[in-house]
Amino acid sequence: MIQQIIALVIILFFVSRLFWQKKNKEIGGNEFIFWLVFWILAALLIIFLKQVDSFVAALGFSGKGIDVLFYLSVVVLFYLVFKLGLKMEKIEKDITKIVRKISLNDKEDKN
Amino acid sequence: MEKNFNKIIVIIPAYNEEKNIEKVINEVRPLVNELVIVDDGSSDRTFELAKKQGATVLRHLINRGQGAALQTGDEYALNNQADIVVHFDADGQFLSREIKEIILPIQSGEADAVFGSRFLGKKSEIPWFKEKIIIPLAGLVNKILINVSLTDPQNGFRALSRKALEKITIENDGMAHCSEILYKVSKNKLIIKEVPITVIYHDFGQGLFRGNGRGTGGFRIIKDLFLAKLMN
Repeated sequence: MIQQIIALVIILFFVSRLFWQKKNKEIGGNEFIFWLVFWILAALLIIFLKQVDSFVAALGFSGKGIDVLFYLSVVVLFYLVFKLGLKMEKIEKDITKIVRKISLNDKEDKN
Repeated sequence: MEKNFNKIIVIIPAYNEEKNIEKVINEVRPLVNELVIVDDGSSDRTFELAKKQGATVLRHLINRGQGAALQTGDEYALNNQADIVVHFDADGQFLSREIKEIILPIQSGEADAVFGSRFLGKKSEIPWFKEKIIIPLAGLVNKILINVSLTDPQNGFRALSRKALEKITIENDGMAHCSEILYKVSKNKLIIKEVPITVIYHDFGQGLFRGNGRGTGGFRIIKDLFLAKLMN
């Protein structure tokens, strides 16, 4: 019970920061909604941990609900890292395009 | 009938090559219409020395890798009415007198893309590890990923006709461009020819894990090839 409350307080802290960042226009609308949904989902899962336990047991997992949530978070992390990698690759390509454009333009200017 | 190919541009990507660049420029420049050095963000005097020797010098503000530098050169060549483009190395590992041999099949209308090969007769002293392990491995990866068999798929000495150049855009900034060019040449059904060339080894340019500059090293190249497959 206490653990759940601590978790919820932490989530509340992150959500309040999220609103703060939104107010200061540090993050865009899409990003705000993504993280809001993310934290609300996390809060719901923590509040209904008992139900998650029985759901997970019904699926045939031997671990508790919180364990399965942990596994899932690792999967989500992997996915996010993968997406980040692809995005970095795209940014790298864009940098190359800019560098190339500058080098070709410089040459033309001098001719 | 022999086609008329007037303008031959040689492209040499150079990253921190101040030791070799002047010699290479002096050797290559008399043999072709234009010599383009793409200084790939060198931190040494490559840019100044190349300019002093009177080559056309394009400068990347930051290091982007050999593939990126070659593509910059290719675009310059296209904009400047090149009929044939030759990719050459800055570190003196290729022989400038073999440029005329590598462009010959294009001039005679025999091929659109000509690749140099270390394994077709001419004698190159290839380090054992490279000959027996790295190059066959690279060949195997090429065979699996892009289904092209050449005797020397990782060779950086090649000539492309304007037709080939117009169809090929190098998107791999690093060393994976060798395989990429092969893949795009074969996908566009361009006629490929291999000619024997000589390679002089000074130093190890390419290890399994790392090389000189961005996007080098055997494993990195394989990773780049997989990523390129994923992204397309």
